[in-house]
Amino acid sequence: MSAQREPVVEILGGAFGYGGAPVLTGVTFAVQPGEAVALIGPNGAGKSTLLAGILGLAQHQAERFAVPTGKGEIGTLPQSSAIDAAFPVTLEQVVAMGRTPRLGLRWPGSGDRAVVADALAAVGLTALRRTRFGDLSGGQRQRGLLARALASEPRLLLLDEPFNGLDQSSRDALIETIRTLKARGVALLITTHDLELARAVCDRTLLVNQRQIAFDDTDCVLTLERVEAAFASHVMEIDGHTLATTEHHATEFPEHRHPFADDQLGEPAGEHDEAR
Amino acid sequence: MTAALLGHAHLLGHARLVDPFTPFAAPFLGRPLLLLLALAVAAGTVGVLVHLRRLEFSTDGLTHAVFPGLAIGAALGGTAGLLPGAIGAALAAAVVLALLSRRGQPRDTAVAIVLTTFFSFGVVLVSLSRGSGGSISDFFFGRLLTITWGGLGVALTLIAIAVALIVVTARQQLFAAFDAAGARRAGLPVLALEIIGTVAIALVVVAASASVGTLLALAVVIVPAAAARALTPSLPTAIALSIAFGAVTGWIGLWLVVQLAHSGVDAAPGATVALTMITGYLVALGAGALRGRRAAATPAPAVAQGAVR
Repeated sequence: MSAQREPVVEILGGAFGYGGAPVLTGVTFAVQPGEAVALIGPNGAGKSTLLAGILGLAQHQAERFAVPTGKGEIGTLPQSSAIDAAFPVTLEQVVAMGRTPRLGLRWPGSGDRAVVADALAAVGLTALRRTRFGDLSGGQRQRGLLARALASEPRLLLLDEPFNGLDQSSRDALIETIRTLKARGVALLITTHDLELARAVCDRTLLVNQRQIAFDDTDCVLTLERVEAAFASHVMEIDGHTLATTEHHATEFPEHRHPFADDQLGEPAGEHDEAR
Repeated sequence: MTAALLGHAHLLGHARLVDPFTPFAAPFLGRPLLLLLALAVAAGTVGVLVHLRRLEFSTDGLTHAVFPGLAIGAALGGTAGLLPGAIGAALAAAVVLALLSRRGQPRDTAVAIVLTTFFSFGVVLVSLSRGSGGSISDFFFGRLLTITWGGLGVALTLIAIAVALIVVTARQQLFAAFDAAGARRAGLPVLALEIIGTVAIALVVVAASASVGTLLALAVVIVPAAAARALTPSLPTAIALSIAFGAVTGWIGLWLVVQLAHSGVDAAPGATVALTMITGYLVALGAGALRGRRAAATPAPAVAQGAVR
């Protein structure tokens, strides 16, 4: 769509890693405002490393590397969060945390409260705003964390497997929210194993497996032979959804760190143990 | 010592039960009350952060680490040496803790090692300097009733700095305590926030240890926040309750000291106040459990399933 506008993300010939040999190479893609790009590849393909690289939490080398760098300009939704269910915060307070990068040490004003209310409305959880975060269902927590990401008014949203573990109604709500965000001009980069969902909301798809395999319109990228090439034939169909499975990769890379999946995001292992 | 000081309290009234207000007009009781009220404010800010970040054991380690510093300070400079000694020991402990964690020791192991080392060292120091420094119980339970205006001023200043550090960074501290990985992704300086939080804890521990003793310092930082959490799931309410709890139990504890002295019992003031706080905590736990049982009888809100982790 808005091809004449400046892309939110533009990477040419990028390589990403954590100091040693790069995990992912040959990355060339762009995300326009209001566009959703699917990031697809097996476990160990380097998807999370790419997301961490965009956040500045993994190292990169590139001919051109343009990503938003301002405070709060990138919002993230992790695959899972190590969150203490007993932590005494309401959903609304969690969403308000999303304002802190923009606020710095300033105190929030009425404008900030309006943004928080808006973010809650965007994920359809306004009615539950006074509920303790730990008392929400898994899908509601996920949507709450998405609202927290929205509260920083990001130009770019990184969603890591946002549909995992969601029931059908939460999936539908999330798809609706993604469409709303695109209409508002937010750029999205979404990792997923569910190719149907990628087709449903993503305009273009970036297919990777340690190197970039393809980047084009979703329908062109997600052809059977290309997906099979990336996933080494581990593709199957369940309930009308084409799923790229990764079990064999999961056993092949048992030591693979998944920065978005735990609380040591993008940090070399072992160095920040004391941060817990 | 306590009885000698409290001997004056006999002049205040002849009733068997001492009224809970007039004794505090006397400076030697008014000063400790002021200090305990200031520490209550620290309990509602620094203490709540300790609770949210689950740093109770580290704080325990810190209070014990301060102990040999107090002993060295007292041996070298008497009462005036307490504070510099405590600050030096807190710094040394912080460095040792950081180094041990960096070497890959789990945090609990590191804290336990530092705690044992510094603590044994402190006991040896106190036993060596018998007569010049003071008794072990003095360092544990402090000299609550002998604090001077000067000592009070320094303690209040340290507490004020600690509270200010937490208040200014409160919302970022909350984010980092709730979800450190999310805060890091959002671009918050999580390590700096952790250091600011630890410095604030150390300041309160130092201020409290040098004046009211290491044991009460620990009680003041940990007990009010834990009691408040037993009573309410709401954070703003927990902060207000922590402050109220610290203030009320501190006041009742001091009043008990006066009351006991009236009955001819020479109770250690610091320990009496600490026990009052613990009693209050048990009451809060009971009240919280009762409320929890009543809430469980009514339909509970949907409990989160394992979808997120």
